[in-house]
Amino acid sequence: MAQPRVLVIGGGLAGLAATMRLAELGVGVDLVSLVPVKRSHSVCAQGGINSVNALTRQQGDNEWKHFDDTVYGGDFLQHQPPVKEMADWGPRIIDLMDRLGVPFNRTPEGFRDQRRFGGTLYKRTAFAGATTGQQLLYALDEQVRRYEVEGRVKKWEFWDFLEPVLDASGRCRGAVCQDLVSMKFKAFPADAVILASGGCGLVYGRSTMSMVCTGSAVSRAYQAGAAYGNGEFIQVHPTAIPGADKLRLMSESARGEGGRVWVPRTPQDPRDPRSIPEAERYYFLEERYPKYGNLVPRDIATREIFDICTTDGLSVEKDRLCVYLDLSHLPREMLDRKLGGILEIYEKFQGVDPRVVPMKIFPAVHYSMGGLWVDYERSATGGMEEGSIRNQQTSIPGLYAIGECDYQYHGANRLGANSLLSCIFSGLFVAPSVAGLATASRAGEETPRLFEASLRRQEERHEALLGRRGGQENPYALHQELGNLMTRVATVVRRNEQLAAAYDEVCVMEDRWRRCSLSDTGNWTNQNVVFTKSLGDMFPVAKLILKGALLRDECRGAHYKPAFAMPGIAATDPAGKRREAEAWCDRFEANTRKWLKSTIARHGADGHPQISFEDVDTSLIPPRPRLYGLVGADVIEEVWKERSRGAADDAPAATGAGRAVAAHV
Amino acid sequence: MIQLAEDSNVGGPGAADQGNGHSDTMAGRTIHVRVLRQDGPGGESYWERHAVPYEPNMNVISVLQRIAERARAEDGRQVAPVAWDCSCLEEVCGSCTMLVNGRTRMACSALVDRLLEEHPGEIELRPMSKFPVVRDLKVDRGRLFRALERVEAWVPVDGSYDHGPGPRISPEEQEDAYPLSTCMSCGCCLEACPQYTKIEVVQREGESAEEFERRRTAAYDRGFVGAHAISQAVLFNGHPTGRMIADERLQALTSAGGIQVCGNAQNCVAVCPKHIPLTRSIARAGRAATVWAIKRLFDR
Amino acid sequence: MSPAEAETSFFSRHQFLISRLFSLSGLIPVGAFLVVHLVTNASVLAGPGTFQSRVDLIHSLGPLLVPIEWAFIFLPMLFHASVGFAIIAGGLPNVSSYPYVGNVRYTLQRATGMIAFAFIIWHVIQLHWMGAPLGGGKFDPHHASSSAALALQPVGVAILYAIGILSAVFHLANGLWTMGITWGLWTSPAAMQRANWISIIVGVLLGGAGLGALAGMRRVDVEQARAIEDRMDEMKRMLEGREPGDAPLVRPVATSAEGN
Repeated sequence: MAQPRVLVIGGGLAGLAATMRLAELGVGVDLVSLVPVKRSHSVCAQGGINSVNALTRQQGDNEWKHFDDTVYGGDFLQHQPPVKEMADWGPRIIDLMDRLGVPFNRTPEGFRDQRRFGGTLYKRTAFAGATTGQQLLYALDEQVRRYEVEGRVKKWEFWDFLEPVLDASGRCRGAVCQDLVSMKFKAFPADAVILASGGCGLVYGRSTMSMVCTGSAVSRAYQAGAAYGNGEFIQVHPTAIPGADKLRLMSESARGEGGRVWVPRTPQDPRDPRSIPEAERYYFLEERYPKYGNLVPRDIATREIFDICTTDGLSVEKDRLCVYLDLSHLPREMLDRKLGGILEIYEKFQGVDPRVVPMKIFPAVHYSMGGLWVDYERSATGGMEEGSIRNQQTSIPGLYAIGECDYQYHGANRLGANSLLSCIFSGLFVAPSVAGLATASRAGEETPRLFEASLRRQEERHEALLGRRGGQENPYALHQELGNLMTRVATVVRRNEQLAAAYDEVCVMEDRWRRCSLSDTGNWTNQNVVFTKSLGDMFPVAKLILKGALLRDECRGAHYKPAFAMPGIAATDPAGKRREAEAWCDRFEANTRKWLKSTIARHGADGHPQISFEDVDTSLIPPRPRLYGLVGADVIEEVWKERSRGAADDAPAATGAGRAVAAHV
Repeated sequence: MIQLAEDSNVGGPGAADQGNGHSDTMAGRTIHVRVLRQDGPGGESYWERHAVPYEPNMNVISVLQRIAERARAEDGRQVAPVAWDCSCLEEVCGSCTMLVNGRTRMACSALVDRLLEEHPGEIELRPMSKFPVVRDLKVDRGRLFRALERVEAWVPVDGSYDHGPGPRISPEEQEDAYPLSTCMSCGCCLEACPQYTKIEVVQREGESAEEFERRRTAAYDRGFVGAHAISQAVLFNGHPTGRMIADERLQALTSAGGIQVCGNAQNCVAVCPKHIPLTRSIARAGRAATVWAIKRLFDR
Repeated sequence: MSPAEAETSFFSRHQFLISRLFSLSGLIPVGAFLVVHLVTNASVLAGPGTFQSRVDLIHSLGPLLVPIEWAFIFLPMLFHASVGFAIIAGGLPNVSSYPYVGNVRYTLQRATGMIAFAFIIWHVIQLHWMGAPLGGGKFDPHHASSSAALALQPVGVAILYAIGILSAVFHLANGLWTMGITWGLWTSPAAMQRANWISIIVGVLLGGAGLGALAGMRRVDVEQARAIEDRMDEMKRMLEGREPGDAPLVRPVATSAEGN
């Protein structure tokens, strides 16, 4: 190949950002997507995109604080240099999107308006109505279309990524993909392949994710040898509208704009919510977390809502779990202007006007913090070295991962409005790395043969699936079973005995999958076979999620095991409090030493995930306890501060050497 | 309604759907669905009947999911699942446009209860009629995206390097632009437009993919651009940077298949699921085209 | 390039200009003519004398009348009609699937256009002197009211006239409204609504004038009118110094479309 060429899998925010940047750098791009890229799942992101801005800066905010909020919110389970780099890039990214024509909401003077989101005290979030993700995606889609017209980008829409093609040295030389219309296979030789295929929500059956978020592309890379990091960290969004086909998101911005979460103090109070007086309403988030109120980080909000319904039995309804998310006290005009889009969704799908009647909501699977393990090169300033070919590279050289399908930025829990930032950032940032690689790499002699072999393998797999006879399993029913199981055991509350049992059950399901029979055996736009294939690829992901969750005996971010929770302080006298706080901090430190590690899964030859643990680079901000709403948090914090002051005097910096180990788990 | 399982977790069996008045009367009943199928491009279309057990709060997507799962027609014959496009299921991706009870709309927000009120007894599903059928309810909307290229629906920035923030924009301008920017390219406006007629180009024997694509694009370019593209042109001609190539967009809008094809039936605005003021855009584009054409006449 | 392709590409190249000329021609001169025509004819309600004097005024143009008729009435109308038919052929009405007011109007605009066109051809044959060879040409500009009254006497003819007139009026009034959108005069939904009211008022007034003229013509007492018209003709002759029996300046059966 004379001209450098890169294959991008997925046309959401990350994939489009990378494509745009690559095209600008003069690299030809093949962009493969399951759907027209404008229909990617990024459109569903509602609330906004975070970055430090002129306004928050004057209130004492800066990039470091954004970085700090992100790692603190993520319970320190992410390597800090990439996160720092992302926070540093935040303002530039918003400026860029602004220039690309994103209709961000404006202040009366014509500046970008900002709102506050969970996990921070600053109004860092720029937004475009209640469809920020859609607006950002469209802006990038438009730029990519422009490059497409110029011939620098070729889109392959309605195409499915089947496998990366590796040479003898294990380097990725391209991929084999399938046309979902004609069902034809095609090899895509490339200097680098970038996976930007998003999350894996469909492993949970119904979630807030789109129907294309099967996780199959990632699973295929994983099965080809790419390491997968922190799979067990699945964000459950606190507020979603339950539905038969999907759980529709109700953005955090509903709370950001003043929405209040409550339940009647009387269990299943039959009255119209509007006629329940203030005194008989339990605003449990506001009461339990006075500082953050309704805007506590997502994992906490989720657990509280889940808890108030299950443990406290205060669900609004008896037959199904839900709480009120109330906007009815806010002015209609403001709601229409700032939240119009999401309120319309509620009204459209529920037939009730949320401006008048409190919404009924419940948590739902929303985002995978985990994803393909990716590398980075640390810069002198503690960020990421721009242009290094290691940045965003998976454990397979030449294969990159960006956006939701990497594990890099959100640790154990993602802050609201950080995902759009991480997607665009990783997309823009990977481009120079890959562009450098594209000119350096040259395919070897054996490459054409590799593609032929790969094509043959995929065609055989496809034919075998079509030719299956007499199987009794229905792939759609099996998918529902898998989803129900995963939702039951691996979301808000996790218990080891359930996880272990579920792992075995998933193995049985995977075996049953092999007996799935197809109701469509044709070779034209056969969605049946495509779905069945992607279902088959959900099991390895489900297994690594369960295995990771099973092994991780602690509570961290979205991963919550009651058996390993660290309760607050029970004592009431000052000395007892102090003693318990010391013990709490001891335990926290021990837990950090043991568990502040990324879970790294590799696909074993036996089909089971091989788990190892990778140290986390916390060299910039030492881990500290997340004490949101814990009883006795003030005392613990005091003790903790004393200790960290002492530690700072003893040693100049906390551990940061883990990285070398990291690359070779 | 589904009972709460003991150890239920999120979104699982415990989190049942929001109820509604129909659930009691409809429980145990069957929904009859009539689907207009077609096995491939240019093939004969045929009707097929399906029966799906009623569930509360169903939409057309969940009906199609049940049909795929059953893979049997109402008469018990084993049939291939109906092919259709969908993705977000919350009416922002624009995938699942189809003719439901004869009207173009998004399948995800077409609620079964309402459809049965509208037309008791049966739900009828057909593919969009203005685009070539790929299979069953799935159509090729490539022409719709091509129209966005025709009107250069983008802000012509220098590149993605940092140049500081974008232009200052008043809240009024933003509120004007935002609705136009929510267009999800679903194609409802085109399907309902009496002036937008189907263009189906078939690959000839021995014609290469590139030649075919070129010929098809040329055919698309002679056809009407459609309300969505006109509205995007208006959106970008209103943006301070976007309007730097306003003339190019007006050139496109006044060439063959441009704004003049509009017949003012105003169906576009009536069927737009996002309530985009498309006729306002068309009128604005008309005004701009008038001024531009006159200016060009005198400036020549 | 085949001739057919050349034709298409010429039309394609100038599609915008042709459409705008089409739109413009609907208002000026065709629409303007319709207004003048209906209002003039409605003057019959003030008596055959008044109407006769209006007709005389028009015919005072003498030899210029024929070229003016062709330049400002027949040719623009033929242009408007032929482009209109091309537009109709390119559309695909779907009012049964989308029975919205705007769509009904879109469909009616096309239907009324075709009705009006057919009506006008028949109307010209029936009354204009050019129709004489075909057995028409019944209008006598020297006996405006009485000749028109006789031509419109059959009930069937009157009904067809009512349909034709109302079609033309709807086509103009609705066309006025869509024209404002096409040219960008009214752009916001509110402005379109206001313009809609204006169109409705124009349509109602014009429809009233048209039907009034029709009814007025049919109510004319032919004998009485003839007497008045003869008297007026005599006075004209006296003023022009012509003798009774001299050839009139304009042939007796000749007339413009005006006064039909």
